Amino acid sequence: MSTLLQLLLRSLETGAIYALATLGIIIVFRTNLMINFAQGVMGMFGTYIVTFMFQKVLFVKSTEAGLAQQPALLLSILVGVIGAIAIGFIVDIVVIRRTKKVAGIGKEIITLGMMMIFLGVTPMVFGVDPMRLPKVIESGEFTIGGANLSYNSLLNILIGIGLTVALFLILQKTKLGLAIRTTASNERTARLMGVPTKWVTLFAWALALVLGTLAGVMIAPSTSVTLNLMDSVQVNAFIACVLGGFQTFYGPVIGAYIIAIASNLLAYYVSSVWGTQILYVMVIIFIVFKPVGLVGKKITKKV
Amino acid sequence: MERKKSFSMNYYLRYLIFGCVMALLPLLTNAGILKTSWIGIIGGTIIYTIAGLGLNLLLGWSGLISLGTAGFMGLGAYISAYVTGDLGLPFEVGILLAVLIPLVFGILIGLASLRMEGLYLGIVTLCVSEVLRKTFDELEPVTGGFSGKQANFPTLLGIFKLNQQSTYIFLVVIMVLLMMLTYNLANGQLGRALNAMRGSQVAAQAMGVSLLKYRLIAFSLATAFASLSGALYVHFIRFVYPSTWTLPVSLVIMALIVIGGLRSVFGTFIGALIVYAMPDLVLKNIPVIGDINGLSYVLSGVLIIIVVLFYPGGVINLFYKLHSVITGGGKKKAALPQTGEEQESMEETHE
Amino acid sequence: MSELNNVSGKEEILRIENLSINFGGLKAVDDLSFSIMENEIFGLIGPNGAGKTTVFNCITQFYRPTAGRVLFKTAQGETENLVGQPVHSIIRKGLVRTFQNVELINELSIMDNVLVGAHMDFKASGFEQALRLPRARREEKQIREKAYEVLQFMGIAGLAYELVGGQPYGVRKKVEMARTLMCSPKLIILDEPAAGLNDVETQQLSESIYQVRDKYGCTILLVEHDMRLVMSVCDRICAISFGKFLACGTPAEIQKDPAVQEAYLGEKEDSES
Repeated sequence: MSTLLQLLLRSLETGAIYALATLGIIIVFRTNLMINFAQGVMGMFGTYIVTFMFQKVLFVKSTEAGLAQQPALLLSILVGVIGAIAIGFIVDIVVIRRTKKVAGIGKEIITLGMMMIFLGVTPMVFGVDPMRLPKVIESGEFTIGGANLSYNSLLNILIGIGLTVALFLILQKTKLGLAIRTTASNERTARLMGVPTKWVTLFAWALALVLGTLAGVMIAPSTSVTLNLMDSVQVNAFIACVLGGFQTFYGPVIGAYIIAIASNLLAYYVSSVWGTQILYVMVIIFIVFKPVGLVGKKITKKV
Repeated sequence: MERKKSFSMNYYLRYLIFGCVMALLPLLTNAGILKTSWIGIIGGTIIYTIAGLGLNLLLGWSGLISLGTAGFMGLGAYISAYVTGDLGLPFEVGILLAVLIPLVFGILIGLASLRMEGLYLGIVTLCVSEVLRKTFDELEPVTGGFSGKQANFPTLLGIFKLNQQSTYIFLVVIMVLLMMLTYNLANGQLGRALNAMRGSQVAAQAMGVSLLKYRLIAFSLATAFASLSGALYVHFIRFVYPSTWTLPVSLVIMALIVIGGLRSVFGTFIGALIVYAMPDLVLKNIPVIGDINGLSYVLSGVLIIIVVLFYPGGVINLFYKLHSVITGGGKKKAALPQTGEEQESMEETHE
Repeated sequence: MSELNNVSGKEEILRIENLSINFGGLKAVDDLSFSIMENEIFGLIGPNGAGKTTVFNCITQFYRPTAGRVLFKTAQGETENLVGQPVHSIIRKGLVRTFQNVELINELSIMDNVLVGAHMDFKASGFEQALRLPRARREEKQIREKAYEVLQFMGIAGLAYELVGGQPYGVRKKVEMARTLMCSPKLIILDEPAAGLNDVETQQLSESIYQVRDKYGCTILLVEHDMRLVMSVCDRICAISFGKFLACGTPAEIQKDPAVQEAYLGEKEDSES
């Protein structure tokens, strides 16, 4: 029982990371009608900003001043978030606004181009050596129902759930949310009705960058900050999107948590080696039988 | 008219000349005119071109997205390495199995593709590719796991042992043959059926195009080309790691066909040259700039965006435009590079 | 399977029997029956939302009818029930259609678009095509010549190698018509051929409908909103409303039919109140 609980708690943490990355993909998809293949590397880039700020600037300063590292880390994250917002704006203004008339898969290929640019720029700016980013809450854990949970994991879980809930409240209750939802359902009509769709896409890209960065900061302490920091997160986030369906905001989030829980359970109870493959094959089979995902309806072309 | 005719007649000849020029490379490196590293880089370009041709049939002609190219390349590479190395079977058997086994997966994906729409298909193929890649990691007895697997240069018909240079020539021959095949297929009934499927599924069906049949054909061809290129890779590079076959490889191949030109055979090669070879051959040799890490990625990325935004026909279209400027008034050719030859032969019959 | 009737020397080519289709409880087509004679120009009319296009889609098997039969005298001379057959096999039997929102491939030339219509005529295998073996080349040449003739007939041969993408709507409609002619059809179904055309183009269209019938010896079924076109060009007309049969007869009969007038102009009591 305590093992299962332990696994579920760990899944909630992984799920939080996947959910943030997934939300980043889905908000861009819904407002721009494009799948952003650069979501992963954007998060990676944001994480690099945080790590670089912390390692090369603030950590040094704070140790000189004899301070603890936490404030420096939090400040670094803040800088990273601001940087992410700025990059989101740049991406939208410089590239995305010009893609309105690009047909078919062209938009996706543009995000692929952006992916390559981020992959190229990162070592230019931050160097090639892997860096490390510590946890926000360095140590300490507590026991619940026989399962151990570190305070940092709890924080991650809460951030994941908190941000998701906050985002849904924004989408459902605020004017901005209404603008996003109308843009998502029909960009052209929304624009003609006076919805400032330019601001909506600007916001969407900034948000995608921030969500990606936060996901990166969450996962970074368990590995090292390299170019492929977000590779597996990105793949899982995509799979979460198809599992949940691209047509709603909440479907993919559910998908993200399902992927996280299922992969942890499969890895522990079935096979640590083949768990992921089994999961992916199951998802493929699911999609074959329910091509629009968990939540969503089929749209047939009228002839 | 004369000049036009001479241009349209030598359509096979064009590929042959291209092949001969490519085959001159070892001579140039032996003579010390070019560095020997060129062989490896252009050989790699050829391998990417082959996978690109397959993806072009799928994405360019049929409008179906696949992000699984890397997985199938890896599968082809491992199968051929295992069959020729561990099992000690001839090179030809290795290549054959390396194409046939992935083909089964390709057909399954083709079947599944009937049930889903574009973007979902892309991610499902990505899923397949990831499953394959993780299997390369774990299936140690066959793949050698994380430490990778070795293979040898091909031995043709059990007699001719090739070295790096002759393997390169072999690659050129295969590529030119595949280019001709692709060109023929794409400009005949099959190519039109694929085009029709991309243009409008309903109209294609009303015209008698079976979606099942042609999706299966498209996926089979793409898978066969990708796995063949993987098998050639392992016998040219002589080493294969599981970590090679990740999403970026699939994306790079997609990028090269877009940059070169969707639905263009030569464009695929030019795209591969720009994306794969240019960074190594040109950029690294420029002083100062060449030493900057990641610059080639940035340039490829910028190029992709520029091409998609401003030159949807790809770089190859610039060549055709240039050609029409030089020859004067070949406007139709510029608009329709792939069917240039037929158009003119038809015009001749009716003029 | 009951044979198609032979009425006063003319044979039926298509007979719809008790056709019905439901969309989630809504009866889009309800127990509809009519038949079309060989070599006839037959119109299907009805107010907006009457289910005309749905009838088309049921005939061409894009939709599976819930009930009823679609009997068709195929190019091979046999009578077959089309219901349940794969969409892509319908053209093989000599039945071909156009689309309301012209469905063409923009990136290809007009010629290539028209060649798609001859998809079924190619016998050479993919292997033969890949190697350009004699049969593949011969077929390609023959069919291209046929396509050129069709384009000449439609009056757009001069544009044969232009891209479809940049062409005006009128030309695109002609390309679609030319594409249907490539398969030597027995019955052509035109879905709102005059929609989006100006008066001159509509006039040309009605002429070319006659020409197509006479030159290619086929039967034509059309759905149309433009009443002038329907009344002037059709031999017989079937009127439907809300998926139900109203009347069938010559244009003059249809114009006089009280049920049709009611469907188009509303019920008398309604219009008075």
